[in-house]
Amino acid sequence: MAIDQTTEEQVYSTDDPIVTIRDSAVTYDEGKSYVLDHVSLDLERGEILGIVGESGSGKSMLASSLLDAIPSPGRLTGEITYRPDGEEPINVLELDKDERRSLRWEDISMVFQGAMNSFNPTMDLRTHFEETLQAHDADIEAGIERAEELLEDLYLEPNRVLDSYPHELSGGMQQRALIALSLVLEPDVLVMDEPTAALDLLMQRSILMLLSNLQEKYNLTMVFITHDLPLVAALADRMAIMYAFRLVEIGETRDIVENAAHPYTRALLNSTPNLDAPLSEMQPIEGQSPAPINMPSGCAYHPRCPLATEECRTTVPDYHNVDTEHGSACYHWEESYDEVPLVYENSLDGTTGGENQ
Amino acid sequence: MNNYYLKRTGRAVLTLWVTVTVTFGLIRAIPGGPLEMLRARLVRQGVDPSRIDAIIQSRQEESQPIYVEYYEYMSSLLSGNLGESFYFREPVSNIITDALPWTVFVMVTATIILFAIAIVWGAIIAYKEGSTFDTVSSGLSILMSSIPFYVLGILFVVVFSYRFGVFPARYRTSPGVTASLSIPFVGNVLYHAALPIASIVITQVGLQTLAMRGNSIQVLGEDFVRVARLRGLPDRRIAVRYVGRNAILPMYTGFLTLIGFNLGGSVILEEIFTYTGIGYYMFEALINRDYPLMMGIFLVITTALVLSVYIADLTYGLVDPRVKSGDSSEAY
Repeated sequence: MAIDQTTEEQVYSTDDPIVTIRDSAVTYDEGKSYVLDHVSLDLERGEILGIVGESGSGKSMLASSLLDAIPSPGRLTGEITYRPDGEEPINVLELDKDERRSLRWEDISMVFQGAMNSFNPTMDLRTHFEETLQAHDADIEAGIERAEELLEDLYLEPNRVLDSYPHELSGGMQQRALIALSLVLEPDVLVMDEPTAALDLLMQRSILMLLSNLQEKYNLTMVFITHDLPLVAALADRMAIMYAFRLVEIGETRDIVENAAHPYTRALLNSTPNLDAPLSEMQPIEGQSPAPINMPSGCAYHPRCPLATEECRTTVPDYHNVDTEHGSACYHWEESYDEVPLVYENSLDGTTGGENQ
Repeated sequence: MNNYYLKRTGRAVLTLWVTVTVTFGLIRAIPGGPLEMLRARLVRQGVDPSRIDAIIQSRQEESQPIYVEYYEYMSSLLSGNLGESFYFREPVSNIITDALPWTVFVMVTATIILFAIAIVWGAIIAYKEGSTFDTVSSGLSILMSSIPFYVLGILFVVVFSYRFGVFPARYRTSPGVTASLSIPFVGNVLYHAALPIASIVITQVGLQTLAMRGNSIQVLGEDFVRVARLRGLPDRRIAVRYVGRNAILPMYTGFLTLIGFNLGGSVILEEIFTYTGIGYYMFEALINRDYPLMMGIFLVITTALVLSVYIADLTYGLVDPRVKSGDSSEAY
């Protein structure tokens, strides 16, 4: 896993990263196509990073790669380093089986989309917690106490939930119980892959609120992956936008929402349904996102982009500095402000979580 | 909940009654009867015609209308009286009490063995899905389940009993062995039951293995297995508690009903191995038009099947927590 030196300056690195991803790529066909295309990213200690992209843009691959948990037979390359506070950095991709087992869930934990299927249907929840503690040689009694506290933080009745089978809980309860299960070993990083996808809007909002509380209480670093841009804008400190298996824009939430500098991000914002805006102002993005086997040359967005030039068709753009913390992988980011005007500017104002931390 | 049990019990009883009534009618619709069979046999033996008439006369009971016979049959059935066998000249209940435990022993043992093999084998294949082992095993499973058990049974008798003489060709025990809980007796019983059990296991294990393979592959693809792996659970626990448990569930009902079906399938099997269980007596009864014995054994087989489905219904809630009181738990 050699480091690609040229990527170093492209990364919007942070001061105290807890996880650094360099040139991370996932392939299922020996490199003919990539479902995660050489992504580099820093995760700042204690932040909430929102990763937004449409279905099939490689979001889940990015999430799974943090735990080296790409579904087989996928192959993950690149370099992912976990830097625990005050300890030696750990190269995630070079761990042996036991080390990897203890990294997962103890240091970096994950909540999957579809909590409904994340529990063994023939086992009660207490056993789920106990076996997890046991597998990591943790004190079971103390662990269950912690689980009870976590469940209470998530507004669940600990004993009732622990003694239930998964089918006896509602979708929202299962999702919250799964979050508690993912935090029972006190990990530093929590990766959430579409944790609210199967839930109704009210439940989505309340889980978001609970996550925000948990993050403060347990000093967590969170990666929140979703296709719902306004949803994560209310929670995240920083946001990264994915398109066709690559990151196209990264920056603080306020910058992304109010000052988006990539034509795709701007089009995405314009296509977001909004109650205040009339339906006619909603603008879908023409065309569809490419399949990994059929990636356009150059910037993957160029076939759909109004600003595309010859340069875009031939060379993959590097990040362009919009601001010190804000980068856009677009040659024409400055033109995008005029060419792709935001339909309802500031419509997400007040929902940004970045400054509230 | 109580209502559910009541309903299942009622349905089981109703099924039994209907079967008894239908078989009662069907058997009487078979042309010829025990007396005709007896007469034919005596004629073949060259007995004097006048003597034949006398013998037949002595056996002749007063012919009654069928509804009277039905009424009498049902009422004696309820009092536990299954009548007397024409051919063996013995109460049917005695024959059944003597024969049934042996058939149950053979069939239950065979079914348990075949499910144990199928569960382990199917799970291993599922873990190695797509490998050569998978291809060979699946092919072998299909091949084995396409052999009829009676063909294999005859083959076994010919090869192992007559050609090589390593296994006995007939009877439940060797002559002169008395029933006791001693090692020689148990050994002798197993020795005699080995071939019948083997022919059932070999011809039925394939289908169940394929079922287990399919179930396991499905469970292996479930999210909760992936999450369990990420949680760092030991592979053994995932294989047993996650994949195994959830893959076996759909097979539980099949297991109980297969025991019931196999009791019915003992008719031909026991005839091949001259194993004097209820299947063997059923065959004898059929040949000799022995109505009471036929009816008695038929009743036992039906009861066994109804009972196995009934037990499956009532206990499914114990193996699957999702079915506590369940309309969805019906086996059939």
